[in-house]
Amino acid sequence: MKRAAKQRLPLLILAGTVALALAAPASSRAAPRDCEVPPELLAISVKLPHLAERLHAKQPVNIVAIGGASTKGAAAGAPDLAYPHRLQVALAAFYPEVPINVVNKGVPRQSTQQMVQRFPTDVIAEDPILVVWEAGISDAVRGVEIDDFAAALQAGLDEMKNRAIDILLVDMQFSRRTSAVIDFEQYLNTIHRIGDVDEVYVFPRFAMMRYWSEQNMFNFDEVAEDERARLAAKVYDCIGKKLAEAIHTAVR
Amino acid sequence: MPEPSTPREPRDLRLDFFRGVSLIFIFIDHVPQNFLSYFTLQAVAFYDAAEVFIFISGFTAALVYGRRLASKGALYASAQVLRRAWQLYVAHIFLFVLFVAEVSYTAIAFKNPMYNDEMRVADFLDEPHIAVIKALMLEFQPTFLDILPLYIVMLLIFPAILLGMQRHWLLVLVASATLYVVVQVFDISVPAYPEGHVWYFNPLAWQFLFVAGAVLGNRAAHGASFASLLRWAYPVALAVFAATLVVKTSWTIHGLYESFPAWFLKALWPVNKNNLSPLRLIPFFALVLLVATHVPRDARFLGSMAARPLVLCGQQSLEIFCLGILLSALGHFILSEYTSAIAMQLVVNVAGIAVMCLTAKMIDWYKAMDRMPILQPAAPRSGDGVQR
Repeated sequence: MKRAAKQRLPLLILAGTVALALAAPASSRAAPRDCEVPPELLAISVKLPHLAERLHAKQPVNIVAIGGASTKGAAAGAPDLAYPHRLQVALAAFYPEVPINVVNKGVPRQSTQQMVQRFPTDVIAEDPILVVWEAGISDAVRGVEIDDFAAALQAGLDEMKNRAIDILLVDMQFSRRTSAVIDFEQYLNTIHRIGDVDEVYVFPRFAMMRYWSEQNMFNFDEVAEDERARLAAKVYDCIGKKLAEAIHTAVR
Repeated sequence: MPEPSTPREPRDLRLDFFRGVSLIFIFIDHVPQNFLSYFTLQAVAFYDAAEVFIFISGFTAALVYGRRLASKGALYASAQVLRRAWQLYVAHIFLFVLFVAEVSYTAIAFKNPMYNDEMRVADFLDEPHIAVIKALMLEFQPTFLDILPLYIVMLLIFPAILLGMQRHWLLVLVASATLYVVVQVFDISVPAYPEGHVWYFNPLAWQFLFVAGAVLGNRAAHGASFASLLRWAYPVALAVFAATLVVKTSWTIHGLYESFPAWFLKALWPVNKNNLSPLRLIPFFALVLLVATHVPRDARFLGSMAARPLVLCGQQSLEIFCLGILLSALGHFILSEYTSAIAMQLVVNVAGIAVMCLTAKMIDWYKAMDRMPILQPAAPRSGDGVQR
């Protein structure tokens, strides 16, 4: 296997800020296209061999999205609007002849350790070929000890590897406000470092949402209260689309 | 065993200079996602500025309060140490109030439903009556409020260290090292608030670094010569230093360019900071040894104009330490509230470092004025002469 997903976070952030610095004069004139991110944020060097096999054989694909509140997606108002379902829709567009199903196993306010404990019932029992694991927000919010966080992630990844199930990680959400009171940095570094060490792709949701925020896309401060759910749904849709693009690249 | 009091030597500027550097690094490292942090110790070493700061603080404390102990007695020296601890405690409470203000503001002004569920967990305002008391007891250590409690505890135990060293330095060093080893072997941590949290800087582990600094300072003050130790340990220290430098630097470069290999990453990572892993401690001691060998006490650059701001920061370490934490919290807020483009990061860093250096200069000036004897108003006009 080629050298795979590296700890790319600092680079991503650097790339994001450089891109922003370059794009800043232009962005005031032309609004960026929906969901657009700098290409560096979608660079992916790992493969998802088991998923690729299924897709190429045109066999049904079952994907489990396990995670916290942002996986459940209650902020958007309906399960169909959460990112796992948007991912299913976007993947179906890439592979129209393959039946693809994404199961949403998001449970709000769970630490990574608690998610791992759900693996037997919520992941293994669903018999997935790919697991999308969104982790780290609750750990950062609660300030879970960083080594415990790393150990929990490692345990989950090891279990999937042993069962020959492909897995990818999704890092935290970004919001200017929360990042002022929640210290995400060391959890972000840890999740990307683990992905690096284990050759597991980490979808850089944090860096993407940060880029969007700096482009002034999805500005929650400027919309009326009843519009906010619609805006959240837009963000989830973009996350689903970008995730589908990354997966599409990883199985080529 | 009364020790002969040594004549006061000129101040060892190396301590001030390197402590000043560590304070600047601590500030930079605490501004999140700051590209300048690629140029601080943590990018090339398993330890970071926190080790430097705690070690030098122990060393200087032994020098300063050792002198007080010799000249004015144990009670006075202890009272002085506790007064410093009290100042730090007040600074900690001040920072806590700022943190509360920031969280309260965020909780009210927050309009993004995507974080509703998580924010409710963070919301310690659910039980402020407990959170405030836990903060007063140093058990509540949110985000950037985790270093001061360690420093406070170190000062609280320092009178005991001081008196112990007066009996015999080995007594203190052995007790401290034993505790450190026990913490490593049994993986002991100190619980904090809320339930399930631990002290980020485990005082049971980090005390060893502080005590090691204090014992070395105590020995140095009593004229102990480390020449033979430096000579035989030098090759070992050099090897450890070089090996860890290469390994950690490869990790950092690898983080930037994934094609660059990260040596021993899988075997060594993560390096535990909470309990001051030996992987941090041993290379740090190697660094101390190398610096002690290669940077003589009278090194020319220590007296230069360029080094002056750093020396001043190191001399006013207590104030600048607190200020640095405050400034990094402010920098964090500015970068997340407005933009974190590289230009802005640079502005925040440069402004923060400038404020630290200027404040150090101001405190130095103020203290110098304070020490100046009050002139007799005998000749009021000739005293403040306009002519030069």
